[in-house]
Amino acid sequence: MARRLRIKIDELKTDLGVLKGVELQVGKIVEEWEEPEGPTPMPSIADLRRWDYKLLQRYKPMYMPFCDLCCLCTFGKCDLSRDKRSACGLDMATQQSRIVLLACCIGVSTHLAHARDLVEWLIERYGRNAPLDLGTQVFLEAPNIRLVTGIKPRTLGDLEDALDYVETEVARLLACCHVGMEGSNLDFESKVFHAGMLDHVAMEIADIAQTALLGFPKADPEAPLVDIGLGVIDASKPVIMVIGHMIEPSVGIIDYLEEHGLEDAVEVCGLCCSAHELTRYSPKRGKIVGPISWQVRFVRSGVPDVVVIDEQCIRTNIHEEAKKVGAVTIATSAKNMQGFPDLTHEDPDKIVELLISGAIPGAFIHEEEAEKIGEVAVKAAIKLAPKRMKYKKPPSKEEIMQIAAKCRQCGECVRACPNNLPIKEGMMAAKNGDFSKLAALHDLCVGCLRCESACPVDIPVVTVMVKAAERIFKEEKFKIRVGRGPVQDVEIREVGQPIVLGEIPGVIAFVGCANYANGGREVAEMAEELLKRNYIVTVSGCAAMNIAMYKNEEGRTLYELYPGRFDAGGLVNVGSCVANSHISGAAIKIASIFAKKNLRANYAEIADYIHTRVGACGIAWGAMSQKAASIASGFWRLGVPVIVGPHGAKYRRMLLGRKDREEDWYVYDAFTGEKVWAGPVPEHLFYAAETKEEALVMAVKLCMRASDTTKGRAIKLSNYIDLHKKFFGTLPNDLHLFIRREADIPITMKDEVIEFLKKVGWKERREVPNPTLLEELVRKK
Amino acid sequence: MMRDELTGQIAEIPGPIKAFVLREPRRVAAMLKGAGRLLIVVGNNVKNYESEDFDAIDFVVNLAKSLNAHINVTGPLITKFREKDYNKIYLMPALETIDRLRDNTWSGFDGEGRYNMAVFIGFPYYYEWLMLNGLKHFAYKWLRTISLDPYYHPNATFTLPSMDLDKWRSFMKEVLDLVRR
Repeated sequence: MARRLRIKIDELKTDLGVLKGVELQVGKIVEEWEEPEGPTPMPSIADLRRWDYKLLQRYKPMYMPFCDLCCLCTFGKCDLSRDKRSACGLDMATQQSRIVLLACCIGVSTHLAHARDLVEWLIERYGRNAPLDLGTQVFLEAPNIRLVTGIKPRTLGDLEDALDYVETEVARLLACCHVGMEGSNLDFESKVFHAGMLDHVAMEIADIAQTALLGFPKADPEAPLVDIGLGVIDASKPVIMVIGHMIEPSVGIIDYLEEHGLEDAVEVCGLCCSAHELTRYSPKRGKIVGPISWQVRFVRSGVPDVVVIDEQCIRTNIHEEAKKVGAVTIATSAKNMQGFPDLTHEDPDKIVELLISGAIPGAFIHEEEAEKIGEVAVKAAIKLAPKRMKYKKPPSKEEIMQIAAKCRQCGECVRACPNNLPIKEGMMAAKNGDFSKLAALHDLCVGCLRCESACPVDIPVVTVMVKAAERIFKEEKFKIRVGRGPVQDVEIREVGQPIVLGEIPGVIAFVGCANYANGGREVAEMAEELLKRNYIVTVSGCAAMNIAMYKNEEGRTLYELYPGRFDAGGLVNVGSCVANSHISGAAIKIASIFAKKNLRANYAEIADYIHTRVGACGIAWGAMSQKAASIASGFWRLGVPVIVGPHGAKYRRMLLGRKDREEDWYVYDAFTGEKVWAGPVPEHLFYAAETKEEALVMAVKLCMRASDTTKGRAIKLSNYIDLHKKFFGTLPNDLHLFIRREADIPITMKDEVIEFLKKVGWKERREVPNPTLLEELVRKK
Repeated sequence: MMRDELTGQIAEIPGPIKAFVLREPRRVAAMLKGAGRLLIVVGNNVKNYESEDFDAIDFVVNLAKSLNAHINVTGPLITKFREKDYNKIYLMPALETIDRLRDNTWSGFDGEGRYNMAVFIGFPYYYEWLMLNGLKHFAYKWLRTISLDPYYHPNATFTLPSMDLDKWRSFMKEVLDLVRR
């Protein structure tokens, strides 16, 4: 591995004089590690194209255009309907794949810039040579970085080389979206995969850096349980709320409170991934309000006094919302400055004064000045809270009725709502004093405020909804396990074999945003169903929060019921969005630790292994963002299927297999070189399910792999059959495609399955214990 | 634009090719009767159209029976459909169905040949919007589509106008009567 040598000298006295602040950089030091370098160190766009095409042959893109036009250049708008081409020559399929690539470039850039800023900040605090120590149970500390770049990072500074590589590649990918560049939809799709792979490297850089240096749980399955929910915030205290994805502001706030003995005087809570990071940094002090969709309703509840925003997924006018309830906003990321004056170098007391007096709409303090952010936020909250008590009380029944009485029943709110929620009926009932209908919508609302934008008489619909439900949700308190970060090597060693042989039926990851079609409860219900069936359930981001926000009849959440181990029936919260890299990392580690495959710069072979052997599937039930798109595409390139909820169809392209085409499902037997039919496993690579029932049945089906032993396949089939019968009433009509030999049939279901197989004329086929899609992996005789 | 051609969601602005709006039950009935091989694709939201005197599942099954159409149920409602006395009911997830329909070599659930028309009913508006648009661009040479949902669906070949549920139920009852004749 090549490493840069940097020498920084603060002060050096020599015979010739005194040298101050000298920094020398002398190229790179070549360093070796035990593993031989594979064929694709730091792959560029075309280097893994052959692997991508293998996948794209099986999983052909199905386009469902969200828009029929292209308006990206001044030739346009161009009508791409049907067989038409744009002025630059693109057809509809190619334009759709181009838009997917654009979305993924935005997604990976977001994580990448996040990682770059974080690493620079940590280097400033701890130095380039700070070790990347992820605890005593993680020796394979950066599976994505090792796999893709060939770098084995040991220090913070080593991460800079990986960042440089990803930045170069992202620029290349974005260039492909320019007019007059790529003209093949399949090559665009290959580039989408490339963006996704880069994204997992960028996420991993960010998360291992902060985990190693900031005292986050290090692969700890027993990471503490912390509070989540609106009811966990003590509104009688000053309240600081952080929103977004960065840790720096939270570090500043928590450190300031501790240094000044104010830990119990101020509440610090968060939404979205900033909340995950907050509790990873300080499980004792940090509290989680909920997923990103709760940001407006929490601000409107009047509870937070100071809103600290950083970056990603934040409502872009949240400061206006804060202002309406007398709260103040501090922006902390240069990527999201909100037009606020830059007060990074201003005296903290002066900033507090400006904020409290309302002289400025908000303050921008750069995240690098975390200590100052902490001081300003705490001081402002303490000063402001006593003046804001009036905002923290629920309104009277009469007030709600008065607002609802303005409703003209035009229904524009319903048309504006992404889920067409029956707001009109709720408003009508509220007008007459019945708030139950509006309150019932609270759980289903994604908090987008489009209803309010559409309302011709300016009814603050969400406020009315929040107020109608306030007395209920302010009482709600739940528990969530703090994000544990990576999976331990020893855990992989223990579960590697049962996963690859199929005896643990699968690893299912609930990831992504909170743009749900039917509320967050569905995520918890799906997770519970799979946990009961001994799947390993990994979770991250907003999905991890939604899973926490429902209790069983005994009042316990899934985090209280299931252990945090990466094992059958374990509920593994890895943490924030960037911690998704630990989920892909776990799959990569199975290939490396269990199967002893060379990892270093050996992408295609490892992806082939995961695709044919590791029964894993992602469910991003509320996927909304461009980041979610690039995270998913990173899984696709590893051959791991992803299911999204119905709103995910708006990503406008699915990757679907055709189980009815026998020719699509052949693999090589790596021992003999023979081409063998392995069945449609997994059947799809990207699928937007209509209902949670469909998603569950699909997810367990997508965990089947070519390498399953008969025992493993029987276990997977028993779940597939059982869930299919539970939700759809019968045996699956494609069951015969997944049964290779009679021994695959679950014993308890044997009679009815055999009867079915007879009806469809099933014939026994051989198993493929060593499947591969890559000819070069066939053992040479 | 007429009020009844407002889309079911505000920002779903149609492209240059828009559906033909069928405002009268007799036109819908005529279109269905003359469709040739017909597949009715039923989403889980069809149950939202029910009322005390309108059983949405009975309606779909009776329509299919009258037209000798295949019914593809995409979700858990299949269990209810199977209780009905009709042997041309199939289960396939929605997007797999779209994938098959965009393939002009797919010979349908019974292997007898591709469908000439696909009828859609009972999906979230945006989801159906996207499915219909996929077919509008990539299957238009061999497949026509019709949305029977109570919303204007511009990406279908034929759509109903947007209307409230009570009016829609009466409209559908009339369509069924006409188809049965």
